[in-house]
Amino acid sequence: MATLTEAPPPLTPTAPEETPPRKRGRLVPYWLLLPGILWLLIFFALPMIYQASTSVQTGSLEEGYKVTWHLSTYWDALSEYYPQFLRSVLYAGSATVLCLILGYPLAYLIAFRAGRWRNLIMILVIAPFFTSFLIRTLAWKTILADGGPVVGALNTLHVLDVTSWLGMTSGDRVLATPLAVVCGLTYNFLPFMVLPLYTSLERIDVRLHEAAGDLYAKPVTTFRRVTFPLSMPGVVSGTLLTFIPAAGDYVNADLLGSTDTRMVGNVIQTQFLRILDYPTAAALSFILMAAILIMVTLYIRKSGTEDLV
Amino acid sequence: MITVTNKTDHGGDVRLTGISKTYGSFTAVHPLDLTVPQGSFFALLGASGCGKTTTLRMIAGLEEPSSGTVFLGDQEVTHLPPYKRPVNTVFQSYALFPHLDIFENVAFGLRRRGIKSVKKQVEDMLDLVQLGEQARKKPHQLSGGQQQRVAVARALINHPKVLLLDEPLGALDLKLRRQMQLELKRIQTEVGITFVHVTHDQEEAMTMADTVAVMNAGRVEQLGSPTDLYENPQTTFVANFLGTSNLIEAEVDSKTNGDIVLKAGGAGKLVLPEARCSAPTTTGGRVLVGVRPEKISLTHADEAGEIPEGRNRITGRIADSSFIGVSTQYVIDSPVCPEFEVYAQNIDRDARLVPGAEVVLHWNPAHTFGLDAAQSLLAGTVDSAGIDEQAAV
Repeated sequence: MATLTEAPPPLTPTAPEETPPRKRGRLVPYWLLLPGILWLLIFFALPMIYQASTSVQTGSLEEGYKVTWHLSTYWDALSEYYPQFLRSVLYAGSATVLCLILGYPLAYLIAFRAGRWRNLIMILVIAPFFTSFLIRTLAWKTILADGGPVVGALNTLHVLDVTSWLGMTSGDRVLATPLAVVCGLTYNFLPFMVLPLYTSLERIDVRLHEAAGDLYAKPVTTFRRVTFPLSMPGVVSGTLLTFIPAAGDYVNADLLGSTDTRMVGNVIQTQFLRILDYPTAAALSFILMAAILIMVTLYIRKSGTEDLV
Repeated sequence: MITVTNKTDHGGDVRLTGISKTYGSFTAVHPLDLTVPQGSFFALLGASGCGKTTTLRMIAGLEEPSSGTVFLGDQEVTHLPPYKRPVNTVFQSYALFPHLDIFENVAFGLRRRGIKSVKKQVEDMLDLVQLGEQARKKPHQLSGGQQQRVAVARALINHPKVLLLDEPLGALDLKLRRQMQLELKRIQTEVGITFVHVTHDQEEAMTMADTVAVMNAGRVEQLGSPTDLYENPQTTFVANFLGTSNLIEAEVDSKTNGDIVLKAGGAGKLVLPEARCSAPTTTGGRVLVGVRPEKISLTHADEAGEIPEGRNRITGRIADSSFIGVSTQYVIDSPVCPEFEVYAQNIDRDARLVPGAEVVLHWNPAHTFGLDAAQSLLAGTVDSAGIDEQAAV
């Protein structure tokens, strides 16, 4: 009773003191975001706007380019270079599938079976990044060289006959064929597949495997019904991290392929740096971006993991 | 819905013979023989690291025994993988499949055995554990108690010969745990399946199980009904781990028609029924005399004369007392035992029984038990837990 009358709520004196720091506190996240937002504005949004405007310009290098809203550049670029677009999707898609086939067992092994070797294998997966992308791709030139041991072995085993028949190689060569480009892409982007796969597999509680076994699931069924569905976030982000950069890549096609294996990345590079036809190059870049966005959206919808990626 | 298994058959017996498990130089379970009869509720009780979970996992097939055999009924399952054994497990953290809803979690085992129409069975099972409404929710949307019930339902729906429960209530708060203990006991009575329950909670084991095996450092210390274990502990570990015991070191003085008369320090003579002594007794030999705190009566020293003849008595001084509602717990400082615990029901409280008061502790000799004096007095107490674990590693 006494405390009720003696203690009036001391809200009035303290309230004005408390409000200002609160307001400042609410703004802190935005201040922290500022550097990132500025960075994105200057180095992402501005170049994008610049490129967008370039893509609708006409003119020539000598006379200078002007914005004329010449949208048919897009149509011209697409109708002229659609084979390269299709090839990009095909090569990047094949490389992504190969990465998944090679990367999943590796990630599974590291996550569940490697024990104390886990860190070592992880380092080995990442180790290639310590050398330049270019050097590594050039090394594949040596590996796949005509008359080299790899080509020799594939020839002896008549693998090349099969791949030639499929149109992936020509004659006794691997270098300068689609197979070589896909091999290069697969090799270069494999870690981007393994790392997200590993991360999502490693998070799976091994007791779920035990529970599935306890509930009459054979190891294969456990994988199909429990492990694989739970690793879907890793599969989705791994395939995206592989497919998107692989679709725009031009180094592998340049170094390991021939004029018949040119991907859209090669076209853009040539347009920009050799022919200096900036509008077409910019338009091609935007078409590639739009195509990838559409494919990725469809893919994520299909795999039903929007909330997990 | 659930077929009540005939209690007279032996299909649900669990027989472990000479089963052991070693990891390198560490022995998790020493060769162990154990039979759990069909339809019983059996508890494996012990502190963490005592080998109880390893034993359970060997029954489930999640752990390969280093030696010995596991029989379920007449079928040897020692080397069968888990998915071929007619047992199911309720895991410690439930291990519900996070990507499947409650219905699919419960249906998982049925589907794996190729049963097509699972709807009716799953719905009945969800009703049994009172989760019919939650069928389409994901596990993370349920509370701990509900997840626990899903785990039970997911295992029980397969009509296993044996249901294994690995600390199933460990993650629940006290009130919910009490409720689930009764719930599990009810389910077990209803379905009549053999339950093997692993727990470190002695109260849980005693509440639920028909038979309790107390394990310590990879060995079964004692096996029996909860009453038997509590009233007649055979080792100091059991005496201290299951409830509280007051242990006094005493010397055998003489034996007279079924009773052993002992001398303990300055306490005079204590009487112990020979049938309740698990240690060899020779005149002059040493024995640990034990008595449970609630069996003891406290009388103020001024009224010592009114204590009836024939009761064991010890004098001491109240060192501490705490009132906990149903009873008052006293700690008595006595020459024979430094911290003698006494629980007195709060019926007629003597106002003189406050810290510092001189008292006489007395009890019916029939409530005394005798243990081998060659063991550590502190085995199984809270203080010794750390030492035990270090020794085990």
